[in-house]
Amino acid sequence: MNTYFIKRFVAMIITLWLIVTGTFFLMHWVPGSPFNEERTTNAAIQKNLESYYQLDKPLLVQYGNYLKALVQFDLGPSIKKSSQTVNDMLGRGFPVSFELGLYTLLLAIVSGITLGVFAALRHNGLIDYLAMSIAVLGISVPNFVMATLLIQQLAVNIPIFPVATWSSPMHMVLPILALATGPMAIIARLTRTSMLEVLTQDYIRTAKAKGLSPVKIVFKHALRNALLPVVTVLGSLAASILTGTFVIEKIFAIPGMGKYFVDSINNRDYPVIMGTTVFYSAILILMLFLVDLAYGILDPRIKLHKKEAK
Amino acid sequence: MKKITAILAAVMMLFALAACTATKEAGKEPKDEGKGGEKEKVEKVLYLNNGQEPTSFDPPIGFDAVSWNSLNNLMEGLTRLDESHQPKAATAKNWDVSDDGKVYTFHIRDDAKWSNGDDVTADDFVFAWKRLLDPNTGSPAAFLGYFIEGAEAYNNNEGSADDVKVKAVDKKTFEVTLISPQAYFLSVISNPCFFPINEKVAKENPQWFAEASSFVANGPFKLAEWNHDSDFTMVKNDKYWDAKNVKLDKVHWAMVSDTNTEYQMFTTGELDTSDVPGELADKLFKEGNVKVEDQAGQYFYRFNVTMKPFQNENIRKAFALAVDQKQMVELVTKNQEKPAYGFVSYGFKDPAGNDFRKQNGDLIKTDVAKAKELLKKGMEEEGYATLPEVTLTYSTLDTHKKIAEALQQMFKENLGVDVKLANMESSVFAADQKALKFQLSRSSFLADYADPINFLENFITGSPMNRTGWSNAEFDQLIKDAKLEKDEKKRYEMMYKAEKILLDAAPIIPIHFYNQTYLQSKEVTGIVRHPVGYLELKWADKK
Repeated sequence: MNTYFIKRFVAMIITLWLIVTGTFFLMHWVPGSPFNEERTTNAAIQKNLESYYQLDKPLLVQYGNYLKALVQFDLGPSIKKSSQTVNDMLGRGFPVSFELGLYTLLLAIVSGITLGVFAALRHNGLIDYLAMSIAVLGISVPNFVMATLLIQQLAVNIPIFPVATWSSPMHMVLPILALATGPMAIIARLTRTSMLEVLTQDYIRTAKAKGLSPVKIVFKHALRNALLPVVTVLGSLAASILTGTFVIEKIFAIPGMGKYFVDSINNRDYPVIMGTTVFYSAILILMLFLVDLAYGILDPRIKLHKKEAK
Repeated sequence: MKKITAILAAVMMLFALAACTATKEAGKEPKDEGKGGEKEKVEKVLYLNNGQEPTSFDPPIGFDAVSWNSLNNLMEGLTRLDESHQPKAATAKNWDVSDDGKVYTFHIRDDAKWSNGDDVTADDFVFAWKRLLDPNTGSPAAFLGYFIEGAEAYNNNEGSADDVKVKAVDKKTFEVTLISPQAYFLSVISNPCFFPINEKVAKENPQWFAEASSFVANGPFKLAEWNHDSDFTMVKNDKYWDAKNVKLDKVHWAMVSDTNTEYQMFTTGELDTSDVPGELADKLFKEGNVKVEDQAGQYFYRFNVTMKPFQNENIRKAFALAVDQKQMVELVTKNQEKPAYGFVSYGFKDPAGNDFRKQNGDLIKTDVAKAKELLKKGMEEEGYATLPEVTLTYSTLDTHKKIAEALQQMFKENLGVDVKLANMESSVFAADQKALKFQLSRSSFLADYADPINFLENFITGSPMNRTGWSNAEFDQLIKDAKLEKDEKKRYEMMYKAEKILLDAAPIIPIHFYNQTYLQSKEVTGIVRHPVGYLELKWADKK
């Protein structure tokens, strides 16, 4: 087991390094520069700025310096917001995005699985149709439409919730709802499909024949196996939701880190592009690792380490 | 078996957690932050939106509206623009000007204080202005100080700080020597990059401007709280010399970047002012809710006179005359802008009291018949049987696209020319435009200081803002002379002539002048929006 973890960890580091390298050179290949604006700064000032951010050095030297700093968890200064470091920005933005993402995930998982299970148990019944209609709606309505709709109905027409910003629990309700509908629908559909499959399996019939209560059959025997595909999507879903979503954070003026992904590229703010990419990749890789661990727990037949399985 | 129980427990916990959050959310009363001053009737709080995190509150660095609209109310320079946009005594109580108009001696108010109680001194100004010009500061606004003797050389790494002619005669007397008499000098120095900096504070903590706790103000308000990327709050500064005329107690700035959200927050009273969302502009204009103020600047197109077919003046003019600016603002942009038939915007008065724009008239105005004639003439001059292919390039944005398509239509209808459209991501676009890679491309200019010369100097030979390849010796000389001219009447004559030369050669197609459109709560009065300059809240009030 320990060798498995060590191997996985090394693989994770290599993956991260490949991503860092790829992003670094791609980003510098993209035409444009952080100092290219409508207004022109004079040549001397431009030169000073470039030397301050080490942009005048050869690309390989810049790359080396970046890796050196990265190993010490120093993501460098932002070029656009010169008095802030990327560490500051992520340190501020991530907790907010994480909070929003966590509640969203909880809501999406709980309601998605519930809907999916009920739909499967009442296959082709009224509940199934109802649940799947909700799911189809959730998938087809993009979250920014949902967000606008929620604001219009629940903040402007019937002023229950505040329109935007992130300062109290009341402010959190609308963005969580808007963000959760999509993932909820995905989870509901996946759960339903795999539940239907599992419910036709022999061991379920055996369980029924043994006279087990339906609740026990569903939760103990069916759901556990049915959750595998759900867990698979959860890894990447969690990574993207927990690190913030540009559109929802923009619409609700939430001070998360979603905007950095987009703004940094528009501004060619190199350290911020790198910082967000590294951070997101690290979270994603971690999540995929957790998913692999979860497989083993949910289905003991899936062994983490083949040699040990002998 | 244990595992199943564990999973069940986990699922139950999820439910429980969800329930917990739900009750927490339901149980707590919302903080009253959003609702404009309902809680305490006595306290006057203005709710504004800054759109995003200020770039920097370091005066010479944050060269943009998101930094300077608020900074303008936290600090104050020697002068401050009044309600009619004229520079008035501010931190300086008065000043003397030498006979040749080049040496200004400012007398700083005895009661001009920093929010930490320190005196605002002449040394604070010397420190701040030299820092603005220091090449190591890397200020994008440094060029605004180039009319000070020794400034340009220092900023270009060719001189030293000691040669910059700013000095503290005594604690409260500040003297500055200009390279030439500049009528607009007093207006330029109201700009935030000329704000003083508390030298003592800045030397102890070079990042004094990065947090509310370390920020020292000398303006009508001081910074009370700053939650980065979220919001910040300014409160009335009791140490301000004119505090008795400041009516608001607090200004809360949200950072909402989505215009639709901003508008919704305005309708529910969470904000006191709002921009006009594009989709609702028509409706809101019709309802008469939108306020419009001038803004000194222009939306225009640049020809590249080094590329075919625009090396030919008549062909350029033909394209320029084929554009119907009036239609453009009435049917395309629909934001009540003024159509532009010249380059300098409205609002600059010559010594006789005439508006520059009105006085110099419409220099290039829609004339389809003449456009056709000039195109024919130009093609003959160049020996073109068919016009070389023309591509019009704009930076990717909805509003730019609409205008580009309208232009395409106008060239097609009025000249019979099929123009191709291309768009590009803005950063790449800017770089390529500077490198003269486009034939015809979108541009905009917002004035940095309130004088026609600021518009015209863009087009002198080799100016980084020229970006057309156009060069004219007479024009260059006129701009140079105008900058040295002390007699205002003569100076305006030169500028009138220069603008005529510019538009006669037509390296540009003017489209429309900019304006500022906004919605404002009826309870709010006294916010001043200058055509050149930043938001002014000193006299703002709220019922």
